[in-house]
Amino acid sequence: MNPAELPATTLSRRSLLLGGAALGGSFLLSGCIGGSQTPAASSAPSDTATTLTLQSSLSDPKPKAALDSIVKGYTKYPTTLNTVAIEQFRAQLPTYLTSANPPDVLTWYAGSVARDYASKGLLLDLSDMWTGDGACAKFSAPLKALSSDESGKQIFVPTSYYWWSIFYRKSAFEEWGVQPPTSWDEFMTLLDTLKGKGIAPLTNGTGSTPWMASGWFDYLDLRINGAAFHRDLLAGKHSFDSAEVRKVMDTYATLVPYFDPKGRSYSWQEAATPLVNKKAGMYLIGAFVTQAFPASAVKDVDFFSVPAIDPAIPSAEEAPTDGYFASAKSKNVTGAKDLLSYLASPAQQQAYIEGSGSSNLPTSPDVDSSKFSPLVLKGIKLLQETKEITQFFNRDSSDALQTTADTALTKFLDKPRDVAKILKDWQTAAQQVWNS
Amino acid sequence: MSTAETAARSSTTGPPRSSISAGQRRRRFGRRSVTRRVPPVVWALLLVPLLVELAWVFWPAFNSFQLSFTKWSGVGVAEPVGLKNYRTLLYDPIFHTAITNNVIWIVAFGGLSVVIGLALAVALNKPRRGVGAYRSGIYLPMVFSLAVTGLFWRVLYQPDGPINAILAAIGIDTGQHQWLADPNTALAAILVAALWRQAGYIMVLYLAGLKGCDPTLEEAAAVDGASWSQRFRYIVFPQLRNVNTVIFAVTVIDSLRTFDIVWAMTRGGPYNSTQLLSTYMYQVGFTQVNLGYGSAIAVVIFLLAIAFIITYLVRATREE
Repeated sequence: MNPAELPATTLSRRSLLLGGAALGGSFLLSGCIGGSQTPAASSAPSDTATTLTLQSSLSDPKPKAALDSIVKGYTKYPTTLNTVAIEQFRAQLPTYLTSANPPDVLTWYAGSVARDYASKGLLLDLSDMWTGDGACAKFSAPLKALSSDESGKQIFVPTSYYWWSIFYRKSAFEEWGVQPPTSWDEFMTLLDTLKGKGIAPLTNGTGSTPWMASGWFDYLDLRINGAAFHRDLLAGKHSFDSAEVRKVMDTYATLVPYFDPKGRSYSWQEAATPLVNKKAGMYLIGAFVTQAFPASAVKDVDFFSVPAIDPAIPSAEEAPTDGYFASAKSKNVTGAKDLLSYLASPAQQQAYIEGSGSSNLPTSPDVDSSKFSPLVLKGIKLLQETKEITQFFNRDSSDALQTTADTALTKFLDKPRDVAKILKDWQTAAQQVWNS
Repeated sequence: MSTAETAARSSTTGPPRSSISAGQRRRRFGRRSVTRRVPPVVWALLLVPLLVELAWVFWPAFNSFQLSFTKWSGVGVAEPVGLKNYRTLLYDPIFHTAITNNVIWIVAFGGLSVVIGLALAVALNKPRRGVGAYRSGIYLPMVFSLAVTGLFWRVLYQPDGPINAILAAIGIDTGQHQWLADPNTALAAILVAALWRQAGYIMVLYLAGLKGCDPTLEEAAAVDGASWSQRFRYIVFPQLRNVNTVIFAVTVIDSLRTFDIVWAMTRGGPYNSTQLLSTYMYQVGFTQVNLGYGSAIAVVIFLLAIAFIITYLVRATREE
């Protein structure tokens, strides 16, 4: 309910009750759910509000604090920042966007997720920010393509992206006398060496963040079947119960004995602790893992890309892109775009990357990269040199498909021998998602 | 209500009060009528909450019924699909797990919390030194929300957490057992956490009930040579009948609506092995945004709850 619709005078108890009854009555008359939705995108932008709400899923302490201070620096419109835990944000996002009085600007992901909401007319057309002297006009062409919906309109403002790789501590590798591998065989030998030293070679937090299990799945599929197959698989053009996926799982099965078994109880944050304490060797994760390191140890973090398995397959990396979109029903369209321009500006991108401690890369070419850490520069180089870029399992498909992957992959990590049945069940569950 | 009104009208056999006009007939009271004429203010006080209840409770519930026959992602127009959602439910392995888990949950959570609560209440009923501290200590977990309880126990259950450490200290080597990551122990582990919180609540309800028992009856039975168990079985327990009614209702409702503690501890995982109807409904409805299918699960939960409560009420009123 919009508070602005209520009269400003104090309500007496009786009129409140009567009002409630009247509302109830109108509810009864309003017909069934979802029956008559006016397409929100067609309504002309009208600014009836002068305030803004920014709904944020950045609930980890450092990114939250970084965004908080950035929003405090924005003075043009009074802006409220609501930070919601990411799992809840994910669940509530459709509700936010379809509510009568949605948040004006929301954090979320570029790619198929944003496109999906755009196709339902829920996102504000931001094309004017991508032309002329708009805030996103100088962003790269791939970013523009990623931020466009099916009809070619831009509906997303990317502000940072990051890369996935196998992270390790340089000092730990020195202590153990090992080198980062350059081929898959070297990688497997490294796993054996570390295991022989009583170290968990790989850590992963597949307990309360079961989606972490998809990281290895994505990479093995990219290395064995290639990015094109991977995209088609996630789009429902191939079966999970196919020979290609079976090959991926067979390779995944060879890695299972090297994972720290306690990871099955951990979240991704908890799983980083053994890596920090040199109890575990390596962690395939996004660059956001540096948040989990104490400031003194961040310089010790290095990474290498998942080595090639089949040399004939072109290189590919996962580079999820984060940013903002605005609700089509925003009551303050001018303000929403102004806030987005502010958030996309080089200065604020840099402030966020420095404040969040998560080694994200800026999307704006105007950000001064001289202050970046060698790690981030290496990340930029990695993404510049790779042939193909993908996002991540859920970002390339949907959150519904992600839950099927979570079930299948965590079960697989427990019982790698049941792979045949697991893949069959996965395909059945995925089919249900695509059909629904 | 209209029947009550007609009944009241037809039973007004008494002579009309002299000063009452036809327009004020409504105010006459039937001399023998059980349902006395109700003044309009009372009608208003009844009807307005009824309308509010209809609008905010029954109308959404009705919508949920409607939704369960559709396919809807929360955006756009809901597409009617007939009974498809219910047919899918029949063959949905996760739904079967959820139903089984819910049965286990109702029996174990309901049964154990009542047994433990009653035992604690009986043990802590007699006033003696320090009993207040014990009572408050046992009731204390109740002040935490279930979500907080869940997070707290999740830490205890970590492979290198306190529970495994304590078990190792007393000589039970669990091999850093992963209580919440092992499908064989996850549901039981959540159950322990839920009981830890619920038992104190049931204890307080029973303590109140025990205060209402007549001690002279028990003393008389003791004088007659009844053993402790006989006194409890035949003297005390029958006097707790009213409390039992309340506790049964509270327990069934609490079991069926259990959601937050499971969500906080496992989110229905590992691979759906701790899924309850409520968590599965939430996952389908709000994570996958398949509102039609989610509503079908909600309808099943509703029917189960109604079936339980109605059976119980019918039995309870028959006994009266």
